[in-house]
Amino acid sequence: MATLTYLQAISAALRDELRADERVLMMGEDIGVFGGAFKVTDGFIDEFGPDRVMDTPLAESGIIGTAIGAAVVGMRPVCEMQFADFISCGFDQLVNVAGKMHYRQGLAVPITVRLPSGGGFSGGPFHSQNPEAWFMHSPGIKVVAPSTAEDAKGLLHAAIRDPNPVCFMEHKHLYRRIKGEVPEGVFETPMKARVARSGDELVVIAYGAMVHTALEATEDIDGASIEVLDLRSLVPLDSDAILDSVARCSKVVIVDEANQMCAAGAQVAALIAEKGFEDLDGPVIRVATPDVPIPFSPPLEQAVLPSVERVKEACRDLLAY
Amino acid sequence: MATHMAEPAAGGTEASTEHLTLEDRIWLLRAMLLMRGLEERAMTLYRQGKVPGSFYDGYGQEAVSAGAAFAMAPEDRLCILHRDLAAHIIRGVTPERILAQYMGRAAGITAGRDGNVHFGDRNLGCVGMVSMLPDMMLIATGMAMAFKLRGEPRCALTWFGDGSTSRGDFHEAMNWAGVQKLPVVFVLENNQYAYSTPLDKQFAVDPVERAAAYGFAGVTVDGNDAEAMFEATRAARERAIGGGGPTLIEAVTMRMHGHAAHDDMKYVPKEQVEEWRKRDPVDRQEKRLGDLGVDIEALRAEVRAEIDAAAETALSSPMPDPADVVEGVFCDGDAEPLGDGVARWSGFASRAVA
Amino acid sequence: MTSSRTEAALVDVTMPQMGVSVAEGTVVAWRVEVGDRIGADQPICDISTDKIDTEVPAPVDGVVAEILVAIDETVTVGTVLARIAVGSGSAGEAAPTSAPVAPAATAAAATAPVTDAPESGATNGARNGAAGTAPVAGDLRRYSPVVQRIAAEHGIDLSQVQGTGRGGRVRKQDVLAFVEDGGAAGAAPAVEEPPLHIESPYRPDPVPAAAPAAAPAAAIQGGQLSRMRRQIGEHMKRSLETAATCTTWIEVDMSRVEAARKRLGVTGLAFVSRAVIDALREHPALNATMEGEQYEVHHDVNLGIAVSLGDDGLIVPVIHGAHELSVEGLAARVKDLARRARSRELKPDEVRGGTFTITNPGQYGSIMATPIINQPQVAILDFEAVIKRPVVVTDADGNDSIAIRPITILGLSWDHRALDGALSAQFLGTVKRHLEGAVGG
Repeated sequence: MATLTYLQAISAALRDELRADERVLMMGEDIGVFGGAFKVTDGFIDEFGPDRVMDTPLAESGIIGTAIGAAVVGMRPVCEMQFADFISCGFDQLVNVAGKMHYRQGLAVPITVRLPSGGGFSGGPFHSQNPEAWFMHSPGIKVVAPSTAEDAKGLLHAAIRDPNPVCFMEHKHLYRRIKGEVPEGVFETPMKARVARSGDELVVIAYGAMVHTALEATEDIDGASIEVLDLRSLVPLDSDAILDSVARCSKVVIVDEANQMCAAGAQVAALIAEKGFEDLDGPVIRVATPDVPIPFSPPLEQAVLPSVERVKEACRDLLAY
Repeated sequence: MATHMAEPAAGGTEASTEHLTLEDRIWLLRAMLLMRGLEERAMTLYRQGKVPGSFYDGYGQEAVSAGAAFAMAPEDRLCILHRDLAAHIIRGVTPERILAQYMGRAAGITAGRDGNVHFGDRNLGCVGMVSMLPDMMLIATGMAMAFKLRGEPRCALTWFGDGSTSRGDFHEAMNWAGVQKLPVVFVLENNQYAYSTPLDKQFAVDPVERAAAYGFAGVTVDGNDAEAMFEATRAARERAIGGGGPTLIEAVTMRMHGHAAHDDMKYVPKEQVEEWRKRDPVDRQEKRLGDLGVDIEALRAEVRAEIDAAAETALSSPMPDPADVVEGVFCDGDAEPLGDGVARWSGFASRAVA
Repeated sequence: MTSSRTEAALVDVTMPQMGVSVAEGTVVAWRVEVGDRIGADQPICDISTDKIDTEVPAPVDGVVAEILVAIDETVTVGTVLARIAVGSGSAGEAAPTSAPVAPAATAAAATAPVTDAPESGATNGARNGAAGTAPVAGDLRRYSPVVQRIAAEHGIDLSQVQGTGRGGRVRKQDVLAFVEDGGAAGAAPAVEEPPLHIESPYRPDPVPAAAPAAAPAAAIQGGQLSRMRRQIGEHMKRSLETAATCTTWIEVDMSRVEAARKRLGVTGLAFVSRAVIDALREHPALNATMEGEQYEVHHDVNLGIAVSLGDDGLIVPVIHGAHELSVEGLAARVKDLARRARSRELKPDEVRGGTFTITNPGQYGSIMATPIINQPQVAILDFEAVIKRPVVVTDADGNDSIAIRPITILGLSWDHRALDGALSAQFLGTVKRHLEGAVGG
């Protein structure tokens, strides 16, 4: 066990995979010589060379498209979007080519797309998004979103070894803020939810950075027993774990850092409405970012992102219901 | 395959070109005849209500796919466009599977999950196109990138149309392949119209001239001559495998039918169609081989019989089971890469590899 | 009351007696609010009893001064539901709408959960209907799905549960605490029946297989039982617990009835009804009610006819003074009552006061049943299908032969506390005699 930051855990997973499997290669803008905008692949080029830690042209569609081509002839490409926001430029390749390939012709596309996502640092409208729901809505693409260093490593191993396209949502705000014990070597974290804290009066369902917001907000709300469920994987979505928590707690707050409309949390709420109705003891409450682009100026950004206070207030409200 | 010689070719050497034996040349014709015959039969089935959705064909463009595909080896990889049925035939997809594919039957290559020519048999080294053209340029580029990274003497090839050259992925793929000097062949199938849009509304500079700007060779070929297509592709492949980087081949041809079955093509001047009819690629190859004493009628009859039998088989084959419709979105086994296949599709490439 | 006008006299609206055995009723909706003007005989609220769902008409013209019983609250017969101010006071003076006058009404206002229009995301989470929104009158005692499920599983009357949620709302922990404290009345052992919630269509997992025929009627459909179903269930269970129920059958040759009913264009049920009435006149001990130790024989035959309401359940409208009606008259009344029962138009009087009941599910081809006595009556007759059967007939000379005859089996469930088997058999014999000799009219 070593104590690693979230970012170091991601680097460690990539390094382990490059060492373990010669089919694995990194592709992205500025990831080689420069080591990546967030230094995730810092120093990689010295160990693995420029072919396997490839500085690509500035072309997101090109990165995803060529990764697909390489994957169907036996490679295991790991693409880095410099910011998750830029995946919009590679959307077509991911959604129409990669996502549909296996269904259409039984051809697997084992690519991993790393998406540094999320706000909280004045990144503004083009460097702060949480686009995971775009891909949840597109058949054939898995979506995972770790919240801890251990899960960041384990889920990245699982993603790279998965025979399908996987969007790996890595939250930028956690990169150096979150540290934790991480087992050595390769281990795969299952794409299932994790109970981050157990409780039985109310459950807060979240993923990624919002797990930490949820934990902090619910540390002590008048002594109430509050569960925090960390989804970890959005596709596949761990329905069993969600419904288990709902059955136990009967009151649900869902936290999304993404824009509220049709976000991952909306799917969770729909699932509960359909399959957990009989267990509910109050309305399902969502705390999410309103449907605006993420603004730049700190007070504006703080006003839209779900805060500890907002989550706390929602929980208090629902507990009293 | 039987050799369709009315009488032994005198001397024999005139019947072969530098890279094609007479048998290869008959194969080329056979692939084109199969493509034309299958598409005609599919069109009939379409009009009979047996083919759902839209119907697209490559009438008049048979030489582009036949000639280019024939130059590729089994271990090469192809991303095939929707007017390139001959490429599938050359890679070894059987006629009954093609007709079953058109009709949405379980025996089709995609088992009903995708329609018409949106297919690729993964066991035969082919990726099915997507409609967002030219997405496949990047897929072929990525394949070539992998070949180069692994030091394998292999090549990837893809087709795309004149309209595709306006899209960003054309640029991204051309640039990427040029930057990394990849073993990839881009075949620009210039058939004069993107749906109804003519070339002069599509680009200001002939795309073949752009190749130089990306740092590699661009050549223009008569897309209605199968053997010319073969030769240009063969040379491009050789360059690619030899480390010379990509080639853009502009195959100049004409879309003789509408964009799809519903399209009456009234936006195309009649004279233009008539002009191109004189340059029909099948006629040309038939004449070429007929002059060498090949029994064209016998070949035609053989192809016709094959298509008849295929149609019968396809028509009697079952529709897919809706119970399985949500299966297979994800791969839950190992990710098997594209296979080479075992079909004897290219006399040239087989010998070249051997 | 905020009004100081003493001229305005108050008239009580009480929970009506909806049948001989009905002890309580539940208010399901208020048609008025405090301060509303209402005319005599206009509906003031809707109530539900184990016999019927109906409206309560206002007894006088006036202004609604107080609403004393909240929606979903169950109260005993005679309880004052509301008060209507009559006399000189105007609406505003009698009861200003801005000031709810009764504690129950106040609670209603404060408790009502509200389904709120969606708001923008920034505020939606914090301002969901759980808090800070305007109350809706009359929504007191709306229970969450999990609370209703737990209550159903444990047979809890939720009106008995103290709520600790916002505005007194019953929360999951409240109902669980009630169960802990032994508040659940005679809950069936959990093993006997699967909990209701797994029958919900939202839970597709297969329930452990039970033979379809053995499945209880209420278990066939998913979800929370309807109020009517629950009431029927309670009523039937109470009957079985109360009466010493026995069932006796008799075979009847319906040849003459079949011939006569075709001639008259009426149903077999009308003939059976008439034959039963005639038999009751001969054996009045069966035209009776029994409550506790009190056994009472009635002069009039008030004949109940069970009418199916499809999936919702069934109801038993009563033909008062049935003994005065001919076969055709009975047929017309049955038809009319059935139609109005199905369109929920029965008046309270039309479902109470029964002295004997006939149930007739025979249209589906079943041949025998053991009906449950409609309390507080002492007997019920079950009339099933008429089926052609080979039977032995004896002619005037005493010669036997086999003939094809339309036969039915009448079943009589009777209360052994009030009657004995011999009397029941005699009664059935009399019914048979009348039917086999039927000529109609």
